[in-house]
Amino acid sequence: MKTYDKGDKLPEHYKECLINLMTFQADSEYAGAQRVAENHRFAPRPEEAYRLSKKVMEEMGHGYYIWNLLRDLDVDVDSRLHHLASNSENPDPKIVNVINGFRKENWSAFFECWEDVALFSTVVTPAAVAFLGQYRECSYLPWARVNVRIHKEEHGHLAFGVWASKRCIEFGGEETREFMQARIAKFMQMGLGFYGRPSKGKGASEMFDIYHEYGLKVKTPEELQAEYLELLEDRLTDIGFEVPKGVEADYDMRIGYGVE
Amino acid sequence: MIVPSPDQLVEDNVSVLARFGYQPFGGVDEDWSAMWMLLKGDFTTVEMPEVADFDALTLSQQEAAKIYMRRRLIADRFFEECRKGQAELYQGIDTELVERYTLARDAYEDSVNHFGEAREKLAEVLRGVYW
Repeated sequence: MKTYDKGDKLPEHYKECLINLMTFQADSEYAGAQRVAENHRFAPRPEEAYRLSKKVMEEMGHGYYIWNLLRDLDVDVDSRLHHLASNSENPDPKIVNVINGFRKENWSAFFECWEDVALFSTVVTPAAVAFLGQYRECSYLPWARVNVRIHKEEHGHLAFGVWASKRCIEFGGEETREFMQARIAKFMQMGLGFYGRPSKGKGASEMFDIYHEYGLKVKTPEELQAEYLELLEDRLTDIGFEVPKGVEADYDMRIGYGVE
Repeated sequence: MIVPSPDQLVEDNVSVLARFGYQPFGGVDEDWSAMWMLLKGDFTTVEMPEVADFDALTLSQQEAAKIYMRRRLIADRFFEECRKGQAELYQGIDTELVERYTLARDAYEDSVNHFGEAREKLAEVLRGVYW
């Protein structure tokens, strides 16, 4: 796999694909932090409130990391930050590139209570851990290095989900455990769809082969799904939940990010 | 209010620490009872649905509660540093400001974790478990 470092001359189409994926990650990290900030209103106890506030700061920090790298690729990142900060509820897709699941109209439908907040970090975050983890080995080395930092912190967010779920049960008992068990499937649909459609067959992503060839995406959706399910089963079992059977992926909660 | 130790050797340490900037606390003490009313919900689990008011806690429980509340006050200061860092990044993202923000949020993360550890310790003390 050919790799590139800071300052290297990048092939034109490679650079276009790279910017597309990096802006998608940066804009989505920041928009995701904004959604987490909105969920702060559900925090039932002091420590929950502080831990979620910490998560907002971290997710925004991930956005800053990637935006900072994009400056080297001549992207006007300040305007992206300004746009998201000023238009958190309905950012313009022509200006920023945000994952569908992190758009307010989609996100809000998933959250009705603190238990949903805890489950999101338990059930969807493992998909982010698997998906973003692949960028640690990608062909653009500055992006790979910063994703080592991000991946470590995403693992921390996964730990937050497990902690928050256990606390819900500690305070609500078996009734709460059953309530939460019934809500796992809706988040698992999002988690299963996080890394995109299968790489082969009907409905396969048109862009995957190009990203794979360029070394920007190093794992197939099938490999990422296996990684996700392993992480998910481990965490759910640790809390005392079961992995729901027969859950189908919801691919609409992510965005099609092919280069025009 | 500072309550001095009856042991002069301990009190002599004050002057040594003062060489490095120690200053006796001269402000008004926190209203621990009022703060506790806002925070004690952290402890009302299924196993312990009722938690006493601050004044009704034993001395050791009050001490553990004050440690927990002081940890929260420290976290509040680091939270403010993060907000300041974000305001600066809004003026223009660059490497120095990103790294500065990262240090601030790492410190905030540590302080929230310390707050959580103090909460765990206090939960044990409230159950009469000291070690």
